[in-house]
Amino acid sequence: MLLQQLINGLTLGGVYAIIAIGYTMVYGILELINFAHGEIYMLGAYLAIIFLGLFTAMGLTAASIPIALILTAILTIIFCSAYGFTIEKVAYKPLRNAPRLSPLISAIGVSIFLQNYVMLTQGATDKVFPHRFGEAGFQFMDVNVTYLQALIILVSGLLMFFLHLFIHKTRMGKAMRATAQDKTMAALVGINVDNIISATFIIGAGLAAVAGIMVASYYGLVNYFIGYIAGIKAFTAAVLGGIGNIPGAMLGGIILGLVESTGSAYISSEYKDAYAFIILIIILLIKPSGILGKTTEEKV
Amino acid sequence: MLKLVSIHTSYNNIKALKGIDIEVNKGEIVCLIGSNGAGKTTTLLTISGILKPDSGDIIFEGKSLKNISPHSIVNRGICQVPEGRRIFPRLTVLENLEMGAYSVNSKYQISNFKNNIEKVFSLFPILKERIKQHGGTLSGGEQQMLAIGRALMANPKLLLLDEPSLGLAPIMVSKIFRTIKEINEEGVTILLVEQNAKAALRLSHRGYVLENGAIKLHGSGEDLLHNEDVKNAYLGE
Ligand SMILES: Nc1ncnc2c1ncn2[C@@H]1O[C@H](COP(=O)(O)OP(=O)(O)OP(=O)(O)O)[C@@H](O)[C@H]1O
Ligand SMILES: [Mg+2]
Repeated sequence: MLLQQLINGLTLGGVYAIIAIGYTMVYGILELINFAHGEIYMLGAYLAIIFLGLFTAMGLTAASIPIALILTAILTIIFCSAYGFTIEKVAYKPLRNAPRLSPLISAIGVSIFLQNYVMLTQGATDKVFPHRFGEAGFQFMDVNVTYLQALIILVSGLLMFFLHLFIHKTRMGKAMRATAQDKTMAALVGINVDNIISATFIIGAGLAAVAGIMVASYYGLVNYFIGYIAGIKAFTAAVLGGIGNIPGAMLGGIILGLVESTGSAYISSEYKDAYAFIILIIILLIKPSGILGKTTEEKV
Repeated sequence: MLKLVSIHTSYNNIKALKGIDIEVNKGEIVCLIGSNGAGKTTTLLTISGILKPDSGDIIFEGKSLKNISPHSIVNRGICQVPEGRRIFPRLTVLENLEMGAYSVNSKYQISNFKNNIEKVFSLFPILKERIKQHGGTLSGGEQQMLAIGRALMANPKLLLLDEPSLGLAPIMVSKIFRTIKEINEEGVTILLVEQNAKAALRLSHRGYVLENGAIKLHGSGEDLLHNEDVKNAYLGE
């Protein structure tokens, strides 16, 4: 029973973690809470449904499900990254030197705009994911793990692993960390700071797209409002781990997923969405800098 | 090599530079001295493109730097060791040096990086011992060495140094000044901002005295060292 909840929690937690990474990376570089990030995840879920629906109509899904899913994922990631890139250029970049509240308000505006845009174009009712994965799976230490759960855990784990490698081993990843630590100095060593910021939004949005696809296929239903709840949960995960800190976002996401699934099983599933808020309040009271966060004196 | 023509720079409404003309010739060490708030840092940040001048022009190797972004200015060969060192605190010493080479990495090969890093380690052997340590945990003097080393990684043609001796023990100060001379002898042109006016003027071919955002005096290092006004105001004699 507990192990079963841990598997469920890990599935959810992996999803929260990869959304939380997008919040934390943008915060790390711009000190901006990108409230529109949850909406990118929602767009990912919708785009996945649209593309997979298209492939199903074309008969591709019947021919090969894996190929249809992979193509869907690629297209969804590209579209969401384009959204992320555009949002930064249109809504945040012009406000880079404005008072801190301005880009925050702009972010909320983008979030409301995207919700309504999807509601108007896709309708206010739930949409169904065109493919059912079913309950097929395997036994793991007396617990049922569906193939989809295993896939979600694997994909989120791999994404986090490769992101970690990217950030620490590549020239661009190092430039990203340098930019997060000191934008002026980054420019003085020849880093194109605007490009780094764009790359941050593109990566964050691509990860959110994957999360959107995974959740749409896991629950089978989406609506235009899912970005709001997921956004708050992923934000909580980012704060829990220490906002601005990438390993922190990974850890925070997984903890949140585990708390939510065990809490739903042992306390009450009525409060499923409330656990995130309880955690947020507790962490803000006890250690506002988060588990892996630095104490505030060390800015940048 | 570098020519500032009537540069005006302001912060919001505060006019920090009120029409500055400075010239630096290839191979020279030129120093810029002046009291606190005179506009020395502002001058260097304007050259690097971090601050945009309200008017005037900056010519480097015959081409204007107007509306050129800071990273492109680095690509043209102007590097800066800024005030306060600005080491990336959570990057290691090696990563800080790699970031210094960011602008050349795409153009040259790995061998160039290896040559440069060996050169930096021979100037500052302590950095080699600290290679895996985070920049933020280095001592002030070590950070200053790292900041200079980082700038050298880019093969600069012109090196801008903003108070490299600030806050260092006398032994370190003389080491930094010796190093600046060595770097210059290897062909790097240097524009040096210093509070330590006497040492800076001794080292420099020419100097400028900045006061309230305007150039008050300029001349050879030797002349300025013996100028009565300079002696009274900046050499404490
Ligand atoms: N970010 C800023 N906003 C507003 N005013 C500024 C800013 N930076 C500098 N100034 C003002 O511009 C003037 C020139 O400053 P600058 O930093 O260039 O002086 P400096 O010669 O480098 O002094 P120091 O020797 O103390 O470093 C000062 O009056 C300073 O108060
Ligand atoms: Mg200064």
